Amino acid sequence: MSNPTIALIIIAIFIVGSAAVGIAPGLRQKLSFEQWAVGGRNFGRAMNWFILAGEIYTAFAFMGAAGWAYSKGAPVFYALGYGCLAYIVGYYLLPAMSPIGRRFGLMTQADLVEHIYDSRVLGVLTAFIGVCFMLPYLQLQLMGLGLIIETCSYGVIPRTTAMIIAFGLVATFVSISGLKGVAATAIIKDIVMIVAVVYFGVYLPVHYFGSYGGLFEAVEKAKPGLLMLPGATKNMDVSWMMSTVALTSLGFYMWPHLTANSFSARNPDVLKHNAVFLPLYQICLLFPILIGFTALLVIQPALKTPDMAFMMLVQKTFPGWALGMVGGAGALACMIPAADLLLATSMVFTRNVYGRTAGTNTAPATMAKLTKGVVLFLAVIALMLCIFSPGMLVNLLLTGYSGVSQFFPLLVLGVFWRRANKVGAFCGLAVGEFLVFYTMLNKMDPLPVAGMNLNAGFLALVANMIVFVVVSLLMAPQRSESVYMTAHPVEK
Amino acid sequence: MSIAKVILTLIPFAWTIGGISFANRTRPFVLGVPFLMFWMLAGILLAFICLMVMYKLDTDRQKH
Repeated sequence: MSNPTIALIIIAIFIVGSAAVGIAPGLRQKLSFEQWAVGGRNFGRAMNWFILAGEIYTAFAFMGAAGWAYSKGAPVFYALGYGCLAYIVGYYLLPAMSPIGRRFGLMTQADLVEHIYDSRVLGVLTAFIGVCFMLPYLQLQLMGLGLIIETCSYGVIPRTTAMIIAFGLVATFVSISGLKGVAATAIIKDIVMIVAVVYFGVYLPVHYFGSYGGLFEAVEKAKPGLLMLPGATKNMDVSWMMSTVALTSLGFYMWPHLTANSFSARNPDVLKHNAVFLPLYQICLLFPILIGFTALLVIQPALKTPDMAFMMLVQKTFPGWALGMVGGAGALACMIPAADLLLATSMVFTRNVYGRTAGTNTAPATMAKLTKGVVLFLAVIALMLCIFSPGMLVNLLLTGYSGVSQFFPLLVLGVFWRRANKVGAFCGLAVGEFLVFYTMLNKMDPLPVAGMNLNAGFLALVANMIVFVVVSLLMAPQRSESVYMTAHPVEK
Repeated sequence: MSIAKVILTLIPFAWTIGGISFANRTRPFVLGVPFLMFWMLAGILLAFICLMVMYKLDTDRQKH
């Protein structure tokens, strides 16, 4: 068989197989809405692990880390740092949020915000901002998927066809099986992904340079200075990396879909236990970085799209089956995070935006049906955006991580600080999001301040936090004691 | 929150964020990788160890 045929068969097996696994939970039993949305709040350590860990290894991590090593050099090392710090935040935050969700029947991040602050306006606002940042992230996964399948099938399947087929399957299994389907497919995705990155990450550098030491000696000889900051960039220096690791580690658990994932845990101990071991998973990011540096020396002339470095190196070195493996793993790495995002976006949109404004009188059963319909609707919207206007959301995308990070004071102070106040939360959020948009749209990231190059999102977060605390202290305390006590049962 | 937990929380942040200013160098290579890359990888292990001790402290307290 020819290389494209073999690659194509492997990719097809991965995609169709995982979709079948995703559909199964919904066909085996009739799922209640709570089972569909938050897995019946009954995920043990293993299921919860895959659903939280599944969010690290998106296609962006897989292709992007190799791409950054290839194009920027040392700045890519930031990716090794933020995850383990994010899990420390998660160690405190997730086990505190989850019991509030259980006790008060909450299903989304905006539910939680509305409940903590007893403010419908703040809930709707959080939901709206969350949807604005999740939709471009969804589009990103979809476009990555198209690119990966097109490349790995040697151009036999055009990207539009690949996106339509794969996303049709994703939308189908999400609307049938919900979070249970996402968790089941996340297991397959993680195994395939880890096998692929470890195999290629060990083999490729050793194949070309004999050892990791040999690889880095060669890189340092060919491009002196690339392996320390600012690498191949002008302004990604020490201050940039420090502020970026700070922002991304604090912002990690602010993605709205991760709140819903934490609600799926059987008990807080599941979340604590997994937070302890998740940092080890971060070590896997080492391998795409090694592959990126290998590609830098091996692939000539330079690639126009650095994110293709991983696939190009595999294509240059191996026959078709290997590219099929990478294509399959890459496609799953887009599909499963996309499934989780699709679920969370439709939940937040239906419950917290529609349900709390125009549709306040909708019956719960109608709401459940509506949410599943919105899954399909949003999938079509994301597809249309990819096909007809791939560049339109680029600006929103750039602001994604910085944008959701602005929820940090809202959630963390909301859960842990008795004096947190809805007026303070509103003012802080408004200041934070304004600064994020202002700096990003004027291309001021990283922002030069006093000889340093700081991550603009980080500065916005600092301003947000200060405003939040000062305004809250000026207001009378308004918090419901029951929320605080649910999060801190020990202090009763 | 006990002082031990506060310290265990701060150590990984100090290493992985604060440490970058001292660790931004190419040599010496450690275990075959450039020094900065080694520093970040060591930070992962350090975070894991700190979290493990925190978890141990938390579960011990719940038993008593």
